[in-house]
Amino acid sequence: MTTAPTNAAQPEVSDIDTAARCPLLLLIGSALVWLVIGGVLALMASIQLHTPEFLARCAWFTYGRMQAAQETVFLYGWGVNAGLAVSLWLLARLGGAPLRATGLAAIGAIFWNLALTVGVAGIFAGDLTGSAFFQLPAYVQPIMFVAYAAVAVAGVLAWTGRRNAFTFATQWYAVAPLFVFPWVFSVAQVTLLFAPVHGTIQAVVAAWFGQNLGALVLAPFALAAVYYLLPKISGRPVRYYDYAGHAFWVLLVIGGWAGGRHLIGGPVPVWVATTGIIASVLLLFHYTVVGVNLSGALCPRGSLALRFAAIGLKAYVLGGVLNAVTSIRAVAKFSQFTFFSVAQTQLLVGGAFTFMIFGALYFLVPRLAGKPWPSAALISIHFAAVLSGLVLKVGGLFVAGWIQGGDLNRAAVSFPSIAGHVRMWLVAATAGEALTLLGSLALALNFARLLVVRADKPAAELFRPPAAMEVPVP
Amino acid sequence: MKSSPLFFLGLFAALALSLTALVLATNAQYGGLAPYADITVGAAFPQAPLGLAARGQMVYQDLGCAACHTQQVRRADFGSDKARGWGDRQSVARDYVHEDRVLLGDIRIGPDLTNFGARAATHGLDAAHLLAFLHNGQGAMPAYPFLFMKQLVSGQRSPEALMIPGSPDFELMPTHRAKALVAYLLSLNADHEYPETRQQAAKPEAANEKKPAAPGKPAESAQPAAPEKGPK
Repeated sequence: MTTAPTNAAQPEVSDIDTAARCPLLLLIGSALVWLVIGGVLALMASIQLHTPEFLARCAWFTYGRMQAAQETVFLYGWGVNAGLAVSLWLLARLGGAPLRATGLAAIGAIFWNLALTVGVAGIFAGDLTGSAFFQLPAYVQPIMFVAYAAVAVAGVLAWTGRRNAFTFATQWYAVAPLFVFPWVFSVAQVTLLFAPVHGTIQAVVAAWFGQNLGALVLAPFALAAVYYLLPKISGRPVRYYDYAGHAFWVLLVIGGWAGGRHLIGGPVPVWVATTGIIASVLLLFHYTVVGVNLSGALCPRGSLALRFAAIGLKAYVLGGVLNAVTSIRAVAKFSQFTFFSVAQTQLLVGGAFTFMIFGALYFLVPRLAGKPWPSAALISIHFAAVLSGLVLKVGGLFVAGWIQGGDLNRAAVSFPSIAGHVRMWLVAATAGEALTLLGSLALALNFARLLVVRADKPAAELFRPPAAMEVPVP
Repeated sequence: MKSSPLFFLGLFAALALSLTALVLATNAQYGGLAPYADITVGAAFPQAPLGLAARGQMVYQDLGCAACHTQQVRRADFGSDKARGWGDRQSVARDYVHEDRVLLGDIRIGPDLTNFGARAATHGLDAAHLLAFLHNGQGAMPAYPFLFMKQLVSGQRSPEALMIPGSPDFELMPTHRAKALVAYLLSLNADHEYPETRQQAAKPEAANEKKPAAPGKPAESAQPAAPEKGPK
């Protein structure tokens, strides 16, 4: 079945975009600032992995805090801000009505970012929680919950106030995280921080939260964008669209269970790990359907947004397959507790999510601002730098993890020896982080220029042919 | 998909399912797990860290030590944990009942620390050795000089202080945080046998099927040879 967004024929420049300009540009601007900050922190943490003495003389910059801060900045700063912006824009567009509650969304965005700033400073000061993906100090988390909910209200109103009763896959994926995040975030806050559960149940809850944040919040934001961009830009259908609903519900129902795979062999009930393994394997259905649905994006034919989306899609499917493979106990024996699992996270968050969102930003920012991207060169630099950066950092970490896993399983190999064996690959990962940062700077600079330069033509004239929407002015 | 209420009901049900299983059911299953009262030695295990060691866990958390070290020993046939001397038995849920913040860790850039205190005792490492190690670092582990204060030697040299080669007039005094961290590390010892760990030892091939002990009241060891039935 061929399906495209229900209101694809709407004018390319409309009140729908201009009404949402303030909160969405605020969210995107914040996301890009965090992306650059996160890039700097990731680079420093990456250097510390092979040169431990780097910045280690100051308590604020020890590896443990640096790693927690860079992960938090990336997930909550870049990921959530950019994801929310894309989600709100898509829901307004496909809802066919201007975004409502924009003032509330803007206030929410401001408080989210203020609280995050305090939280990241808190992590550097030593107030990290110690749970992966959930490192923010307890004193900022309730504010962030409320701030997120305030932004999400606009999206939910766009969903409920849509002009067409029928909804497209983009809308399901865009609206789900607005609902999922407040729920899992509040549960994690209560059960880990304010009335903590006992013993290793904390590890189970933390794994559940981390899995939900990655698979049911960030990933759906990105998938929503590609389900929209593919038919919109290329005019090609979403292949086997009838299965898209199944893929969505499989992700929603099963996705949250897969966190247990991180606890294989750990001091938790064995069923937690087993259900994690089963869920990871069942999710292959989701990844397969998404891969087939969006396979049209794999031939971008000159479309900039789709070039980014294609890489993100490949990373998404590969990441899903690797999650299933490494959840098998015989493989986990080697991959667990190594850089291999770090690489998997990088592939899914730094690769899949980030690249799909980049594609969406290149498409939607000019429409929001009513101006084209000012520099084609910066876009080329961005693409080349982040792609090579991703390959280097993920590739380097995979090889390092592979070597480390083999070494760890041979009791005779000492830790200094393991560090020596993986050093070269960790240096490669650092080079990847440096390139990624360069790319992020190019994007942020281009965005800043887009905000300050004046469009010399009316927006409607610039954007009338759909293809012109994303082609930068040379 | 047209119906909004149905859609949101679906979302609600989907999330409620994993929440119920992974958060509520695990809590119901072993949220009440208590220390094991071993009448053969007249004490309950694991023993709660006291004073300085308890504060040391907060230092361990705030410096992000868990970013490089795990605190979970896997069973003998799953990785080289036992062969590396990290523990004779697999870690079980009961080992963590006293911890306010469980920091299992998810990467091993450095060694596992579950039984670090016991290992240190075996190798004759005391607080002074560990303080020197913290100050100097080694291999992939950086130095932590900010856990020490350089001070002028006044009168007799402090017994806790580290000497600075080439600076006889100065010494490095460990801060309270350094001493707390070292006390915590030296307190790490999870080698006491519980019914569920004896069960593991008896059936090594099925060890991973028997993890935490039964929840509820503190286990008694009147019949240590008859292990509790662990949840599946």
